[in-house]
Amino acid sequence: MDMNEETSQSRKLKCDDTSKCFQLLESILDGEMDNSKEVLKEKLAKCQPCFEHFHLEQAIRDVLKTRCTKQEVPTELADCIRQKIQDIK
Amino acid sequence: MSEVQRRKYSQEEKNTIFDGEFMPHIDSMYNFAYRLTFDEDDAKDLVQDTYLKAYRFINSFEQGTNAKAWLFRILKNSFINEYRKKSKQPAKVDYQEVETYYNSDDVDYQSTTDLRAESVKGMLGDEISNALNSLAVDFRTVIILCDLEGFTYEEMAKILDIPIGTVRSRLHRARNLLKDKLRGYAHHMGYDTDEEEEI
Repeated sequence: MDMNEETSQSRKLKCDDTSKCFQLLESILDGEMDNSKEVLKEKLAKCQPCFEHFHLEQAIRDVLKTRCTKQEVPTELADCIRQKIQDIK
Repeated sequence: MSEVQRRKYSQEEKNTIFDGEFMPHIDSMYNFAYRLTFDEDDAKDLVQDTYLKAYRFINSFEQGTNAKAWLFRILKNSFINEYRKKSKQPAKVDYQEVETYYNSDDVDYQSTTDLRAESVKGMLGDEISNALNSLAVDFRTVIILCDLEGFTYEEMAKILDIPIGTVRSRLHRARNLLKDKLRGYAHHMGYDTDEEEEI
């Protein structure tokens, strides 16, 4: 996304309804909004708090996905489960 | 499990479903179990119990549908019913208290404005992981399901037995709590925050 390139000069510094806007932005980031591109473009171009919140939320999602390392699964777990299933068959 | 048993699979079909549709999710299942229990043995037991239940109730699973969501739902219910009581995790924040606190929009906004995307990007995996792990289990769960496992709101609603609107609002609150934790780390580690500049 090239939203970073936009200048901040035209954005209003206070959001009229942060609670509503932020939840909307979060739904968009979660892929839960249809036709979200236009809404997002307008919000990010016009409102500084929304712009900042969007990028913060995006950064948090990125680090959660990439840096919350998966716990290594004990090697014997799958075999152990298969054995127990055999026993109850 | 309350589902009506609608099918009658042959032994061979059961094996196919179990190996082809259930077992491939063992990594995600273990990761979820570990983030719920914080204990390797408890996580192993929880995953094992979940798979045994899944096998026992396999006739209520429709072949080719969303096995991962179905398994996660069983695991979540097992955790609530059996493991939460004996869980070794430290004292949790009272859920009601937290929900009430975060119903205030003022708190909602003020508490998170001074955390910056750049600070978050510079954080280590341990800091992110610890922040996530420190959340009360209901909040931790929605973030794991959504951000780590990629479930949709609709799938999460089914896994957690709550309406989609509740999924949305709980996620929003969970994320605000997570941001509070991250802001704490950012401040502690001397990352750039507005709060720091004012001192």
